[in-house]
Amino acid sequence: MVWHIFKKDWKLLWPFFLAVAAVQFIPAIIHVRLGLFGENLMLVRLLPAALAIAVFATAFLVVSIVQQDAIPGVRQDWLARPVRRRDLLLAKVLFVLVLVQGANVAADTFQGLASGFSFVHSLSAAAAHNLFFATSFTLPALALASVTSNMMEAVIGGLTAFCGGIAVSILAVVVHGGEQDLFPTNGTGEGWLVSFAILLSLLFGVSAVLGIQYFWRKTFLARSLVAVVVVLFMLCLQMPWKPAFAIEQRLSPNQGAGHSISVAFDPTLGKFQRPSGMTMSDEEMWKHLRGEEAKTDVFLPLHVTGVPSDAVLKADKSQIRLIGSDGKVAYRGNGEDLEVREEGASDGHATIYQETDIPDAVYRRLKNQSLRLEVNYSLTLFRLSSAHGIPALGGDQRASGLGWCATQMNESGTDIELRCMQAGKGATCATVFLENISTGLRNPIRSACNPDYAPPFELSSEDAMSRFGVNLPFRDPAGLAQFPVDGPQLPRSQVVVRLYEPEDHFTRQLVIPAVTLQDWESK
Amino acid sequence: MIRVENLCKRFGHFDALRGLSFSVPEGSAYALIGANGAGKTTTIKILMDILEASQGSVTVLGIDSRKMSAAQLRQIGYVSESQDMPAKLTVAQYFAYLRPFYPSWDRKLEATLQRQLRLPSDRRLGDLSHGMRLKMALAGALPYRPKLLVLDEPFSGLDPLVREEFMEGLLAQAGELTILVSSHELGEIDGVATHVAFLDECKLLFEESMGDVIARFREVRVTLEREASPPGQVPQNWLQVRAVGNVLSFVETRFSEEAFGERVKSLLAGVRTIDTRPMGLRSIFTALARSARDGAA
Repeated sequence: MVWHIFKKDWKLLWPFFLAVAAVQFIPAIIHVRLGLFGENLMLVRLLPAALAIAVFATAFLVVSIVQQDAIPGVRQDWLARPVRRRDLLLAKVLFVLVLVQGANVAADTFQGLASGFSFVHSLSAAAAHNLFFATSFTLPALALASVTSNMMEAVIGGLTAFCGGIAVSILAVVVHGGEQDLFPTNGTGEGWLVSFAILLSLLFGVSAVLGIQYFWRKTFLARSLVAVVVVLFMLCLQMPWKPAFAIEQRLSPNQGAGHSISVAFDPTLGKFQRPSGMTMSDEEMWKHLRGEEAKTDVFLPLHVTGVPSDAVLKADKSQIRLIGSDGKVAYRGNGEDLEVREEGASDGHATIYQETDIPDAVYRRLKNQSLRLEVNYSLTLFRLSSAHGIPALGGDQRASGLGWCATQMNESGTDIELRCMQAGKGATCATVFLENISTGLRNPIRSACNPDYAPPFELSSEDAMSRFGVNLPFRDPAGLAQFPVDGPQLPRSQVVVRLYEPEDHFTRQLVIPAVTLQDWESK
Repeated sequence: MIRVENLCKRFGHFDALRGLSFSVPEGSAYALIGANGAGKTTTIKILMDILEASQGSVTVLGIDSRKMSAAQLRQIGYVSESQDMPAKLTVAQYFAYLRPFYPSWDRKLEATLQRQLRLPSDRRLGDLSHGMRLKMALAGALPYRPKLLVLDEPFSGLDPLVREEFMEGLLAQAGELTILVSSHELGEIDGVATHVAFLDECKLLFEESMGDVIARFREVRVTLEREASPPGQVPQNWLQVRAVGNVLSFVETRFSEEAFGERVKSLLAGVRTIDTRPMGLRSIFTALARSARDGAA
């Protein structure tokens, strides 16, 4: 009877379904029209609204499908009919997965094809993206719909779940006193573990809620379970760093590859000196303009050894502790990005400064004290997987691993813009530079390393595509900086993209028994 | 066909049913009668496994109602005044949707019912009037020839013409059916029901065959030689005892021709005449409900 119920729902909802399918195609069409460089401002502004409408329309359709034969209540005709609960559930799930999610798969596939990717590549990327979307959104919407009997209840339920989630976060902030990093994996390559844990929680929650509702019709119990899943969701977001990184370590493609790497404090390098005329970095300036809490930068000189040739060493997290002479932790925080690149042949030695922003109030209190400083590094070693050259001007190229890339000069004639798109999960760590093909001269390397260690498919994305882009400066309008590869050389130059894949995740601890912060404040 | 034992249902702190027990014999037309809020609909929804009982047991077609499967539901027709049918389906689409669920569905009977109840094929269920929706519910409950037909307040809000059509449709197909009907429209039950159960304030006052009920209830008027007053000890089987002038009236709940007059005369002095009249179901129900409430007060 699954098919029979499915057909009945189709008869009732096909106009709604077609409207939603059309709405689901709009973001895909906008993405295609935007292409790689996304220069149509109107479309750029329209995109978030189109995405939001598509998501809400999908949710409304899912709720409507389920509520054709609502579970809560005592007046529904189907309750007194010989309708097998299992058949009813399967019919609803089938409708949602095949038609609602199917339309989304079609839209994503269309986007891939229209962007020049093969059918197989586009379809597999669309399928992977929709597997994530179905688990994280469509099926939870179905479960939520099953504990409500009309659209208003569903909207109120959704809002309640949303507000409940926020309340849990606020509670967590209150409990931790606002000092702890509440979402430690957020913005790191390990973030996928949180997404994965959330997906598992949602799958468990959805299965349990649907089971309870369709087979037992215990709405109160099912609603309580929805609340539990919301709490679980928020707890997953707060996954502690150590276990997350421990899991990542076990999943290292080449465990032990980074065993020879060491990080040591090297005071002989002296104080960090900002480039002439700079008192703060761009990021610091923005923080300053936004009126965020004033911080003092401390730069610790480090000597890193053992990084092999054609490799990048990146700290996924640097957890810093300052311990006073009384043995108590005086400050706890995270260090800024740490990235060591060894392009080409390497002697295995590199020097770098570990930047740490310390709140002014803390800094003033501690700056003259002799402190023990501990840094727990969670590091990832990347190895070069492929390198690609794209003409610096008007380049338009497709390559496996890299996807579709194009280059163009920016409007002010100062930078070469590189934009790349890949169907499905693309490379997430690359270094990019301008190179004169004839002379071999190179401009400074730009890093585009925002790793995502997720398995082959992305676990969070607004569509089935992954993108990255870098601007490569070749002219300083102020005339202060000179670039080896400048404007006149561009026709003979190429943008070199070197893609890196993670090889090993490991930890290192740096301990400085006695340090005075004031000695390492930037000049 | 149906056996209900010590059924209780609580909604929070409110008792909707308190220790209800009754049984519906096979082939009977069993009327569950009570005022609004007496617990009739709650009882029926528990029978149909739509609501869960707080206590007690219900057996329908020999099966615990909580374990009823599609196999049992194929033998039960259910019509309720508050039944939500798929509003966007037309009458024809609704029949088409129902058919595959019932292997015994009789398309000729479906056509007959549709014609008899004057249900337009192309009209959406959501566009049907209340009366038409009830007729649709009946038409959707009979073509598979159920063994048990459960009607929950089927006459509520129906105008006389539609009520007539509904009853004709029902009676034409009654055959071997066992019918359980809940209603507060006593006029409709009178003459149709073979058994009756009175529910009042979540309790069952009694259940009996219709013949026995009609036989044992009498409206009695006793004319006395002097001003009437109730006897010192009013018998338990006298309800609504009233004295007006030299007339004492009451409802006798255990009437039997034999020795009735003698018994009255032994309780009341100076009896001139005793007038007994059979009662309709409505009057019996009213008398029972009032005395139950007076007793409770």
